[in-house]
Amino acid sequence: MRSVHQDPELAFLEERVLHHANTFRRTLPEMRFFVLDSTEFMSLLEKGVYPTSPVNIWEGKRMVGRKHRVEAGQESAIYYEVVQTGNPSYAYLNHTNSPMMQASVMAHVVGHCEFSELNVLRDSTRDRTEFIMHLVKKVELARQQMGEVYYSQYWNACESLLPLIAPHSQYNLARSVDTESPVLKQETDTYVSEERSSAALMPVSSTMDALLHQQDPDQAWQKEMQSKLRQETLSRKGYKLRAPCQDIFGFLRNHAPTSRSEKSMLDYLYTRHFTHDFILRTQVMNEGWAMYWEKKIMLELFKEKAVSGIIDYARVFSGVCYPRPYFARNPYHLGFNLWNHIEQLYSEGKISLEYFEETDQSAKDNWKRTPGKEPIHYMADLIRTVTDYEFLRRFLTPELIHEFHLNRFHRMEAQRLRLSPDSIVKEDRQYVWLDPEPVKEEMLNFFTHFHRPRVYIIDTDFQDGGLLLFHRDDGRRLRKDWIKPTLKNLNLLWKGPVYLVSRNWLYSFSANLFKETVVTELRFEKVLERMQRYEKPFKM
Amino acid sequence: MPLLDTDNISSNESEGAFNEFIEDQLENLVDSILTEGDLTSVGDRGSEVIVEIDDIVAPTFTYGDESEGGGAAGAGPGRDGGKIRFNVPFEFLMERIARSLRLPHLRKQGRGKIKEVTHEFKTFAPVGTVLDKKRTFKRALKTSIGMRVYRPEEGRHEVHIHRRDRRYKVPERVEKPKFKAVVFYMGDISFSTYGERLKLEKRLVGFIQHWIDFNYGAKNVEHRFFVHDADAHEVQEEDFYRVGNAGGTLAAPVYHLVQQVATNEYDPNTTNFYAFYFGDGELFDEDAKEIVELLEGQMRPIFNRIGIVEVQPGRLSLLNRQVATQFHRDSIIRLGELNDRLEAIEVIKTLFSER
Repeated sequence: MRSVHQDPELAFLEERVLHHANTFRRTLPEMRFFVLDSTEFMSLLEKGVYPTSPVNIWEGKRMVGRKHRVEAGQESAIYYEVVQTGNPSYAYLNHTNSPMMQASVMAHVVGHCEFSELNVLRDSTRDRTEFIMHLVKKVELARQQMGEVYYSQYWNACESLLPLIAPHSQYNLARSVDTESPVLKQETDTYVSEERSSAALMPVSSTMDALLHQQDPDQAWQKEMQSKLRQETLSRKGYKLRAPCQDIFGFLRNHAPTSRSEKSMLDYLYTRHFTHDFILRTQVMNEGWAMYWEKKIMLELFKEKAVSGIIDYARVFSGVCYPRPYFARNPYHLGFNLWNHIEQLYSEGKISLEYFEETDQSAKDNWKRTPGKEPIHYMADLIRTVTDYEFLRRFLTPELIHEFHLNRFHRMEAQRLRLSPDSIVKEDRQYVWLDPEPVKEEMLNFFTHFHRPRVYIIDTDFQDGGLLLFHRDDGRRLRKDWIKPTLKNLNLLWKGPVYLVSRNWLYSFSANLFKETVVTELRFEKVLERMQRYEKPFKM
Repeated sequence: MPLLDTDNISSNESEGAFNEFIEDQLENLVDSILTEGDLTSVGDRGSEVIVEIDDIVAPTFTYGDESEGGGAAGAGPGRDGGKIRFNVPFEFLMERIARSLRLPHLRKQGRGKIKEVTHEFKTFAPVGTVLDKKRTFKRALKTSIGMRVYRPEEGRHEVHIHRRDRRYKVPERVEKPKFKAVVFYMGDISFSTYGERLKLEKRLVGFIQHWIDFNYGAKNVEHRFFVHDADAHEVQEEDFYRVGNAGGTLAAPVYHLVQQVATNEYDPNTTNFYAFYFGDGELFDEDAKEIVELLEGQMRPIFNRIGIVEVQPGRLSLLNRQVATQFHRDSIIRLGELNDRLEAIEVIKTLFSER
């Protein structure tokens, strides 16, 4: 691993890329570029784009597998770039790339770093990489304290629960758990109606209120008792669940009984995997923004002849932005084209109230009004306010779906998927095109479940201190043979009985005993309702 | 600009931890192979052995059926329906089996040592067919400097290659010790060799084949199979387990035949002989005595090891008893009794351990 500053050519390219980024007035953190060889690159990816990680067999397994696939020709060892955003951001370049490719990678990284700085979910913290390196050292110390066997056992249990990290969920820690000390506010990309807090700021006269509102005394008493119960629980446990919590790993990290070593491991694993949620929720916008700025800066570099090989660049660019069907969406292609489309809409003043209210179609077709600000400012505002779900909901139309070939399938693939002939609206010798109308709905559905089961903590005191999880039914069954080992792992972390309600089954794991019980099926809405009323969400 | 506090990004330690984990899994696999006593299911002798161990996958709440595996199959570490597949060299596996059973490697020194002749390009001469360009150029450069043709200080960089500068690679006869082994398997087909008895015998023969191949190299070992009822015959390996006869039993002819084959077809000075007999041991007294005489007079002096295994012996079995009177705790002649699968490991230890 070496800094680009050790290579005069790369140092020059870095200087030019940053110069153009500043000329375009981009909001950037400090960026540090390093060059890695292929093995280092593979290793970096397995470490979650951090330079160090604690010893663990999972990374070893993935690394051995990856090396084997590269040797067998099943996987390419050429990775163009990866970046760990934050301030400073660390970007890693592959030593096999040509100078022109290195420049394009640096320009691409500019887009990612700015996006992470600006976005509503803000994926940029100070010294993130350095903090992870600090946590790695703590985990290495924990390994010595815990002993190899328990360290592996605990890590394996954590590994099993990593998919249950959801810091930006509508039901994240900040929204679901009351604590004595305020939890760092986590942004979500989903609108949730806030509890009315204005009452606390208004002048209050309880006597007048009682006279005016004529509250039912039973109800008032209930409310009073709930409030007391909440305070007592908070005081006793340090937290109180007020809504289902989807960030299960985050909850365990904060509230499971842990030793200092165990806490170090949970801190490291949560912090290392925390950013996946951001990537899932912003990939289209993020990659599109990076491609957008990559192209802009590269054109400047070609113009000033800082790099050569524009044909090669065009070839690579078109390869990266190759269209794919919606379910295998290519975020580079979709994001890049959508940003360009939005830029055009803004430059023609088509994102305005007047345009939407215009009833004359010919006037709409020939609409061209100068916007109040440069389109790029509006685009940056978009980044500050929305994530992929809203981005696609607002701007992706059936016409664009067709134009971007998101509804296009290879004939062979269409046959394999047994697509209904009724859904095909166009075909040629190679491809068929599906009706674009339902495609958008399907694409948006992805953001509700991310193709993963939605599991929440709904009670932390179920049947004498048990942790009760709830699987929100969306018509698919959980893989049954994995429920027991997953609950066992959860039990190791919670150090008490754990339960899972899925459909009409209650699964429990306690004292090395796994049990399944038939129960009455419960809807998620009912759980919510009960929790809002401070009732037990699920009773046997 | 400050660099990160690391010079090299590497997963070596984690890979090491994973490899240690796999080694442990392989030890478990060896234990299970030995419990089963069946090496034939593992792979071909002398080749790479593909072993499957349970994949390590972190379970989580996910959709899907229990039967669903993941990923594509392939050699090397990869997922194939919840299994990781590894190519393990046959030798690697046998080493572990040997370690697990605490078996010493077979002695190949002493008699039976022959030379394997190969030719290697080790020397160089002024005549030959394969020109050694490097040596030739070195000599030519020296000559050119001596003859003042090559004078870089004057800008002359000529190198003249004369005939006498040429050096050729010359093959040299190299003799390396080579060990050859012949293994004779003798089976009694006069009793009912089928079912459990046949399985036990087959597993034991399979292990012996693997073990001797491992020690000598598969190419240097010849396995020959003989059966007997009242007469003795040589058969193909596949027929060793198939033929059957309900006639009388005379085992001495098969020992005699093996001894004849060993001395007539091989040079006892250059060959390592091994012989293993499998039967129920129910012989006539005279027959057993004749065998003892044959063993003592003609076979023991030239054989490295002779194993006599009574497979599920009956009340009338006497072969091992007779042989034991003469060769109790002998270093060459080993006696075993195999009644069930679990005894296979003990019999193997008896046949191959040091004494």
